[in-house]
Amino acid sequence: AATAPGKKITARLKRTLPVRGPQAPTLSELMRWYCLNTNTHGCRRIVVSRGRLRRLLWILLTLSAVGLILWQCAELLMNYYSASVSVTVQFQKLPFPAVTICNINPYKYSAMKEYLSELDKETKKALETFYGFSEGKSKVRRSVDDWNSTGSDFFQQIPLLKVEDFSRTATDLHSGQKRKIEGSVFHKDSSIVNSGDSNDIIGFQLCDANNSSECALYTFSSGVNAIQEWYKLHYMNIMAQIPLETKEQLSYSAEDLILTCFFDGLSCDKRHFTRFHHPLHGNCYTFNSGENGTILSTSTGGSEYGLQVVLYIDEADYNPFLVTSTGAKIIVHDQNEYPFIEDIGTEIETAAATSIGMHFTQSRKLSKPYSDCTETGDDIPVENLYNKSYSLQICLHSCFQKAMVDSCGCAQYAQPLPAGAEYCNYKKNPNWMYCYYRLHEKFVKEQLGCQQICKDACSFKEWALTTSIAQWPSIVSEDWMLRVLSWDKGQKLNKKLNKTDLANLMVFYKDLNERFISENPANTLVILLSNFGGQLGLWMSCSVVCVIEIVEVFFIDSLSIVMRRQWQKAKKWWNGRQRRSSGKAPQARDLERQGHDNPVCIDEELPTFTTALRLPLPQDSPLPRTPPPNYSTLRLDTAFAEQLPDTLELGQH
Amino acid sequence: MNLKKYLVRALHRLQKGPGYTYKELLVWYCDNTNTHGPKRIIKEGPKKKLIWFFLTLLFASLVFWQWGILINTYLSYNVTSSLSIGFKTMKFPAVTICNANPFKYSEVKPLLKELDRLIEAALERILQPGNGSENLSPSLNLELWNQIPLVLIDEHDKDNPVILDIFETNQTAVGNKTALDTETSGSQLPALCPQCSQQGSDNCTYRNFSSAAQAVSEWYILQSTSILSKVPLHERIRMGYQAEDMILACLYGAEPCNYKNFTQIYHPDHGNCYIFNWGMDEEALNSSNPGAEFGLKLILDISQQDYIPYLSSAAGARLMLHQQKSFPFLKDQGIYAMAGTETSIGVLVDELERMGYPYSDCTMNGSDVPVKNLYSQYNTSYSIQACLRSCFQNHMVEICGCGHYMFPLPEGVNYCNNEDSPGWAYCYSSLRSSIKQRQICIDSCKETCNDTQYKMTISMADWPSEASEDWIFHILSYERDMSTNVTLDRNGIIKLNIYFQEYNYRTISESAATTIVWLLSSLGGQFGFWMGGSVLCLIEFGEIIIDSLWITIINLIGWCKGLRQRRARYPDAPPTVSELVEAHTNLGFQPEPPGAVARAEALPPEPGTPPPNYDSLRVQPLDTLGPDSDAD
Repeated sequence: AATAPGKKITARLKRTLPVRGPQAPTLSELMRWYCLNTNTHGCRRIVVSRGRLRRLLWILLTLSAVGLILWQCAELLMNYYSASVSVTVQFQKLPFPAVTICNINPYKYSAMKEYLSELDKETKKALETFYGFSEGKSKVRRSVDDWNSTGSDFFQQIPLLKVEDFSRTATDLHSGQKRKIEGSVFHKDSSIVNSGDSNDIIGFQLCDANNSSECALYTFSSGVNAIQEWYKLHYMNIMAQIPLETKEQLSYSAEDLILTCFFDGLSCDKRHFTRFHHPLHGNCYTFNSGENGTILSTSTGGSEYGLQVVLYIDEADYNPFLVTSTGAKIIVHDQNEYPFIEDIGTEIETAAATSIGMHFTQSRKLSKPYSDCTETGDDIPVENLYNKSYSLQICLHSCFQKAMVDSCGCAQYAQPLPAGAEYCNYKKNPNWMYCYYRLHEKFVKEQLGCQQICKDACSFKEWALTTSIAQWPSIVSEDWMLRVLSWDKGQKLNKKLNKTDLANLMVFYKDLNERFISENPANTLVILLSNFGGQLGLWMSCSVVCVIEIVEVFFIDSLSIVMRRQWQKAKKWWNGRQRRSSGKAPQARDLERQGHDNPVCIDEELPTFTTALRLPLPQDSPLPRTPPPNYSTLRLDTAFAEQLPDTLELGQH
Repeated sequence: MNLKKYLVRALHRLQKGPGYTYKELLVWYCDNTNTHGPKRIIKEGPKKKLIWFFLTLLFASLVFWQWGILINTYLSYNVTSSLSIGFKTMKFPAVTICNANPFKYSEVKPLLKELDRLIEAALERILQPGNGSENLSPSLNLELWNQIPLVLIDEHDKDNPVILDIFETNQTAVGNKTALDTETSGSQLPALCPQCSQQGSDNCTYRNFSSAAQAVSEWYILQSTSILSKVPLHERIRMGYQAEDMILACLYGAEPCNYKNFTQIYHPDHGNCYIFNWGMDEEALNSSNPGAEFGLKLILDISQQDYIPYLSSAAGARLMLHQQKSFPFLKDQGIYAMAGTETSIGVLVDELERMGYPYSDCTMNGSDVPVKNLYSQYNTSYSIQACLRSCFQNHMVEICGCGHYMFPLPEGVNYCNNEDSPGWAYCYSSLRSSIKQRQICIDSCKETCNDTQYKMTISMADWPSEASEDWIFHILSYERDMSTNVTLDRNGIIKLNIYFQEYNYRTISESAATTIVWLLSSLGGQFGFWMGGSVLCLIEFGEIIIDSLWITIINLIGWCKGLRQRRARYPDAPPTVSELVEAHTNLGFQPEPPGAVARAEALPPEPGTPPPNYDSLRVQPLDTLGPDSDAD
C-alpha cells in the first residue's frame, strides 16, 4: 500500500514523458538494430552477410572506409588555410607615386667649412703621412713631432693603425708607436682574410672607454675604405651636435636643386615639392608627397606625361671625403612610405638624361592564419619611429635604434630619435662608437632578435623601374640649353652652368596597366563542407544525419543501456538483500520483470521454419504452436535460400 | 464517374506505393526516399519525430542556402593564376631602333631656317634684354611669330601682371587674362606662350612655364610641327636617317645580318625607325639559347652633329622591344641607348594570358572596342596604346577639324598647320589637358587579354675602349662611306647587345577557378553532406509533386461529382501505407506501460497471424513482426 502512490507517479511520468531510452535491451541488439536501419552503406552488409569470412570482409571494408573518410577529412582540414593567387590587370588612371630626389652630397661643403675644417685638416694630414698625398702641393712629409704638437683630437679618439697581419702588432701611424693588438679583429672586407697577402692592412681601433683593455680592431683591405669609414664616424659625431634647423639651412634649398620641372604636360615648380630632411643625404625633396591632401595622378602613359626635372648638382661644392660620386639619388615610393634613400635609391648621372619607366604592381597577402605577415604593424612589439606606414625596413631600423638606446644610452645618427633620447656624440657618450660597432655586429648576425620580431607587411606597392640613359644635352643643343638654363637659374648665379652640374630626369608610367596580385582564400567554409560531403558520400553514403545517428546510437543509447543494466543489477542485488532479510520470495514478480524487460525485443533474424523448429517446445502446453506465416520473409531470405539446407543440417545434427 | 475511375486506375497503375491521400503520399515518400532525414521522422517516437522534423527542415534550408552561395561563387567567374618560369625556345622580340632626333639637320635646314633665326633672335632678347632691342633684323618672318608668340610675364605686381612681347617693345597690361595657371609667382620672369583661339581675338590662353628652356622647346615643337606637317611623307622619309647610314653592323646569333633585314617605318616622333624581326613578311626568328652570344648585336651611328638643335636635347638611340606585328610606341615603352657606350639588354618575356569575357574585362583582338583603330593602316595588331592614340586623334579631328601630326590620320583629313587651321595649337592644348577627354578614352579602350612585356636588365660600358677606338672607327667608316677618312666618332657610335636571359619567360596564365564540374561536385557535396541526397532524390521529390498533382486532380474530380467515399467504392485498393506504418511503428521496442501489465501470466503471447502484407515487396524495415519471434 505504501508503494502504490510512488508507482502511480512513475507510471504517470512515463506516460506523459515517454523518454524510453533505447528500445533495444542489450548493446548487441542495439548494434544490430543500428546496422540494419542506418543510412550508411556497409553496416547493413555486415549484419546481413552470412558466413564468417564474408562478414569479416565487410567489417574490414567498412572500417577502412571509415578510416579513409577520417584521413581525407583531416587532410581537407589541414589544407583549409591555403591561398590561391589571382593576378588582375586593370587599365585605369593611376596615382602618380611620390618621387624623392636628393643630392648625393648632403650639405654644401662651403657652408660646412666651419664645422668640418678641423676634421678635414686632420684627414689631409693623415693622407699625407700614410700615402704621401698632399693635393699636388709640397710632398714633403712632415715629421712626427709636428703631429704631436698639433695634438689632434680625432686621432686620439680613434687611432688609425697599420696592422701587420701575422705578427699581430699594429703601428699607430700617427704617433709611430707599435702596440700589441688586444681583443678581436673585425675585417670589414672579408675577402682579404683568406688571401694571405702580406700587405699591410689599414684599420682603426675602438676601445671601451670604461674598460680600456677591451678593444676591437677594424681593418680594411684598402685605405680608401678605411679613411672613408673613419671620416664618417667623426662626421656623424659632429653632425649629431648640430640642431636640425641649422642643418636644413646648410643643405640645399628647393631652388638650388630643382632647375625646371614639368609634370603631365604642365609646368611645376618648387611648391610641388616637399622638403624632407634625411640625416645622411641632407635636404631631399619629394614630388607629389600628398602633404596638402591631393595626390596627382596620370591618365596617359609615356615620357611626355610624367615628371621631367632638371637638377642642379653643384659638383664644386661637394665634400671630398664623405661622398666620392657625383649625381643625385631618387626613389619612387608610395606617399605613405618612408623613403629609404640610402638603401634602395637609384643614382642619377650628371650630363645625362635618365629616363625611368615605371610599371605599377600592387600585391596583397592574406594575413594570419594564411601567412605570417602584418596588416598595419600594430601587432609588432617594436615602436615605429618613422611616422609613416609600417614596412619591414622601418621595423628593422626602429628595432636597432631601440637596442642602441637601450645598450649605448644614445641614438644612432642615421635613424630618427626615439622619445627622450638624443644622438650620440663623443662629448657626452665617449663610448658610443665601440658600443655601436658591437651592436651592429650583433644585428648583422641576427643576435638582436630584430629579424625575428619584424614581419613583412601584407600589402605593398611596387614600382618596377626600367632605367636608361641618354646623353644630354646633345652636342648641338648644349650651347643654347646651358645659356637658357643659366638664365633660368637667375640672378643669384652669375656664372654659366656647366653640363656636368646638370642632370635631367624623366619619371613616367610606361603603361597605365596596374597589376594587382592578390591572395584569396582557396577554401571557404561552404567548399570545405561540400568536400566533406563528397568524401562521406563517396566512401559510405553518409551525411550529417548519419553522424547524428552515430552520436545517438553509440553514445546516448549505449550509455543508457549500460546505465540501465547497472541499475537493474543494483536493483536485483537490493531485492535479493531485501528478500533475504524479509524471507519473502516474490518469484513471480521477478519473472514478470524479466518478461517485461524483454518482451518486445525483436530478433532481426526472421523466424523461418528452421528456427521455428529449433524453438524449444513449451513444456506445459501440449499443443505445439504454429509459427506465424511471415510474408515479409520472402524479401531477404530468398538471397540466402541456398544456405538454408546447411543450417538445417546443422540443426539436425 | 468513368473518368475518375479511369484516373484512379491510372494512378494505381502508375505508382503502386503511395496511397490516395496527401498524408499517405507523404508517409510513403518519407519511408521510401533516399534522403536521410525524412525516414527518421516517421520511424521514431513522437518526441524524436518532432526533433527529426526540425532537423530535416534545418538541413534542407542549410543545403539551399549553401547552394545559393555556391552558385553565386560560380557566377562571379573567379580565376586562379598559375605561374611558370623557365627557358624555352621563343620568338625573338621585334627590335625597333630609332634616332632620338627625327631628321638630319642638314636636310631640314631649308625648312626650318626661318624658325631658327627667329628663335635665336628671341633667345638673344631674353638673355640680354638691354641691348639690341631696336635693330631688329627685318628679314625675320614675324608672321610665324605672331601666330604663337613667346612672351614674358612680369609678375612683380601680382594683381596686374605685365606682358612683354619679346619683339614688341610695348608692354601690355592685361587685366583679365585667362591663364592656365595664374598663381605662378616666385620666379621673376616666367616665360609664357600664349595661344589664341582666333587671331586678334581677346580669347587668349597663356601657358605658363616656370623655365624658359621649357617654354622655348615647347614653342619650337609647336612651330616645327606645323611646318613639317605640310611636307609629304616620302619627303619626310628622305630627310630622316637612312638604314645604311644608321645601322653599321648587325649580327644575329652566328648569322650576319645587315640593314636590309630591317623594316623601315616612319614614326612621327623619331623619323625613320627600323624594325628587326617584325614578322610582317617573313617568319619571326626564334632564339633557342640564352646569352649574349646568341642574341642580336648591333652597331649604330646616330651622327649627333647633325641633330636639330632646338628640337631634341637628348642624344642617343631610342629602342624598344615589342611583339611581332605590333606598333612600337617609343614614347611609352622605349629606352635610350647612350652614344659611346655598349648597352647590353637581357630580356625576360613576361607574359600574362587571360581568359577574356566573362572572367576578365579584356579584349582578344580589339574588334569589340568602340574606337576606330587608326594604327591598323600599318597592319599592326591592337594594343591599348594604339587605342588611346586613335581615340585622341578621332577627338581632335572631331573638335579641331584636323589631325595631329604625331598620330596617324583618319581618311580624308589633313594634318593641322598654322595656315589652314590657325587655332589648332589652342585647340590641341585644351584638348590635351582636358581630363574629361582622357577619361572618355580610358573608359572606351580595353587592354588586351594577352599582355606581353619585355623585362630588360640594362647594363652599360664604355665602347669602344681607348685602345681599340682608332681601328674600329676606321673600319666602320670605310665600310660605310668607302673612304679612308674617319667619319665616325664617340658621340655617334652605339653598340647594342640584346639577348635572352637564362630564364627567358615568366608566364602567368589564368584558369577558371570555378568550372561547371566544380559547381556540380560542390552542390553534390553539400547535398550529400547534410542530407545524403543525390540527383535521384531530387527526381523522387519531383515525382512526389507529380503524384500529389494527380491526387489533387482526383480530389477535384471527386469533389465535383460529389463523391466523398471513394475508398468504399473501390475495395480493390490495397491497404495503405499509413496503416502499415501505424501497424509496425506501434509495435517496435516500445514497452507497454507497466500499469498495463497487471496480468501475471508468464506465457508468451499467442502469436497471431499478421495481416497479409501485399506491399511487402517494397523496401520496408525488418522489424515488422509481432512479439511471436521469441529469442531462445
